[in-house]
Amino acid sequence: MKTRSWLDLLLMLVVTLAACTSGNVPEVCSRDKFGCAVIEPDTTIKIGMGGPMTGGSANFGIDISQGAQIAIADAGEFQGFRFELVAEDDEGTPEGGAAVANRFVMDKSIVAVAGHIMSGPTDAAMPIYEKAGIPMMSPAATNIELTKKGSAVFNRVAFTDAMQARFAAEYLYHKLGIRDLALIHDSTAYGSGIAEEVRKDFEALGGKIVGFEAITRGEADYSAPLVKIAAAKPQALYFGGSVQEGVILVNQMKITGLEGVIFFGDDGTFGSDFLTRTGVNGEGAYSTSFTLPESDRKTRFDAAYEKTYGIPPGKLSPFTWNGYDSTAPLILAIKSVAIIGGDGKLYIPRGALVTSVRNTRDYQGVTGTITCSPVGECSAAQPTFYVIQGGKWVEAPK
Amino acid sequence: MLDRPPELPALSRTRRLNIYRVIRSGLGALLVAYVAWRLYEVLVVKAEYGPDTWLRFAISGLVLGSVYSLIAIGYTLVYGILRMINFAHGDVMMLGAFGGYFVLEALSAIPVASEVNPPLTFLNAHPILAVILAFACGMSIAALSGFFLERIVYHPLRRAPRLAPLIGAIGASVFLENAAQLLFGPQRRDYNNPFLLLRGAGWLIPVGTGVRLTYTGVLTFVLSLILMLGLYLLVYHTRLGCAMRAVAEDKQTAALMGIDVDHVISLTFVISGALAGAAGVMWGLHNGLVYYLIGFVPGLKAFTAAVLGGIGNVPGTLFGGLLLGTIESVGPAALGIDFQLKDVIAFLILILVLLFRPAGLLGEVSTEETL
Repeated sequence: MKTRSWLDLLLMLVVTLAACTSGNVPEVCSRDKFGCAVIEPDTTIKIGMGGPMTGGSANFGIDISQGAQIAIADAGEFQGFRFELVAEDDEGTPEGGAAVANRFVMDKSIVAVAGHIMSGPTDAAMPIYEKAGIPMMSPAATNIELTKKGSAVFNRVAFTDAMQARFAAEYLYHKLGIRDLALIHDSTAYGSGIAEEVRKDFEALGGKIVGFEAITRGEADYSAPLVKIAAAKPQALYFGGSVQEGVILVNQMKITGLEGVIFFGDDGTFGSDFLTRTGVNGEGAYSTSFTLPESDRKTRFDAAYEKTYGIPPGKLSPFTWNGYDSTAPLILAIKSVAIIGGDGKLYIPRGALVTSVRNTRDYQGVTGTITCSPVGECSAAQPTFYVIQGGKWVEAPK
Repeated sequence: MLDRPPELPALSRTRRLNIYRVIRSGLGALLVAYVAWRLYEVLVVKAEYGPDTWLRFAISGLVLGSVYSLIAIGYTLVYGILRMINFAHGDVMMLGAFGGYFVLEALSAIPVASEVNPPLTFLNAHPILAVILAFACGMSIAALSGFFLERIVYHPLRRAPRLAPLIGAIGASVFLENAAQLLFGPQRRDYNNPFLLLRGAGWLIPVGTGVRLTYTGVLTFVLSLILMLGLYLLVYHTRLGCAMRAVAEDKQTAALMGIDVDHVISLTFVISGALAGAAGVMWGLHNGLVYYLIGFVPGLKAFTAAVLGGIGNVPGTLFGGLLLGTIESVGPAALGIDFQLKDVIAFLILILVLLFRPAGLLGEVSTEETL
């Protein structure tokens, strides 16, 4: 005890001396497990975002980063520092996700990541951010395994695939009266994960699975697995995957003998891209998006988004609002732990930031009230289903 | 006087041959047994597919196969003339597909005065002309690409050892793919078909629950056959074809006979490029999807088709392409295995053909390759 209080005194003396000479680095920085991020005056506090900015799901990346930009604009200035969104293209692949994560970790002014957007890249990037102490708040990574890995940095505002699958299976069984279901997925973490969940839930409800096929992304012709599924005469076809492959499947359903079979897509197939690229073939196809409770914040966000970008939110992808609600809690957490040093620099203790993001409580977002569970589930919204009628997405009858 | 090489003792030579033969035959027998067992399982025991399903598989296989054949002809022609595999040929097909895409996009933006409201675009007012223009543009761009490919990459390497043009071809392939990505962007583009040729529209064959024979599928198959027939007539019944066959047989003697070898070689690349371009436009019309990587895997499969049918042999290539397309479509279902293994089947066939019958199914087992 005595030694400790002497050591404490010594430490304080040393720190005071160091502070006098090195410009008042807050003492919390030396105690923090990951140290502090130092933001120089006249530079920005950066928040990273990794998502598919190019390729088949580009609309998702663009849409969500635009939603996040609104949050950055709303954040204004903090102690004379502005915020900045650094959105990079991870191409929706695990390799891209790891590459972007490595780049973000090298940039010391990036303190948090609103991402990644797709489950595969998020999974690959997680261990990299875990080692560097950068908190994540994903707007759209829905795979259930992500929060089961014991990560301290990963959080998400997206609903999980387990919830989405349960809702989808119930809708198919009870509302649409489907008894023979076929499933097809795109072999990614996200697509195969949700297809497995739907299979389990549908069988638990008493339905029959007549086909379960996997396809590879990036091909142009999926008629062979579709023909095989057609031979089993399903009433509906559930697809776990993204717009790109979903569009090809829908366009090939008629020629492979699946005419009259209902196509049911997950949240990765929703958006204007799916509409325009399936055209007449898409009539009657279902997809998944959100219900959001109406609130002042949502109305203000919708107006701001439409004013800035000229299109309504939710058109390009279902996750526009999540883009806002993934970035705003991060900004709030940064504002709560950041300390302005005597030298005018901003010090953000990384470990404290990770904990603060995980402890987000009762944040009033545009998707509802955001409170993070101990494993990082912060979602406020539930999935809703939409169907294409007359060339437009229409909310499906509940 | 050269000494005669010492004779190997007859006994050890036989023994060495026997072991190699035994292993080969053993593996072959195992494969045949496996395939037979799987076919029995699927066709006799389970019998879950009706005739309409098999017909659908067969149709999509034939359409795919005709695209492969067209691309494979390019491989065959170039191999016959230069003894070289043009690995960039798949990307020439991709450029042709983009050529057709841009023409159709441009034509769909031109409004035409008509009584219908909303006014028809040029694409739908004159669909046949539009498709012909798309083909013309696609084929021209691909032919030009083939021409420049030969001039820039293969011509300087003509006297180099065989490996150099091969590596050059792979390099050219990577270059073309990435150039396309930079020029056209990485996004997937959809072909704008005229209403007459909408993907998915077609005749309904009354088998089982009704099998749809799409217009684009029929166009692909018939046009491929016509183009290949045209090529066959060109190669075997014209002076140019005669010159091509002469250059393929013996370049130096052909040159001595007064044939402009460089000119013939350039023309070969132009013709094979044009055919690949046509294949690209057909691919776009039928499958709808174009992006910078669509040439990669079909190029490899077409190479397999050419080898399967007999590289250097025009009717063999047609047969090989159709056979490969059908096996790829029908195979996984017939063997009861996962559909994602269709590429495995295709390339396994390549390995088997090279092991057991390198001249191809219709090729002549001879030392001299002729067109």
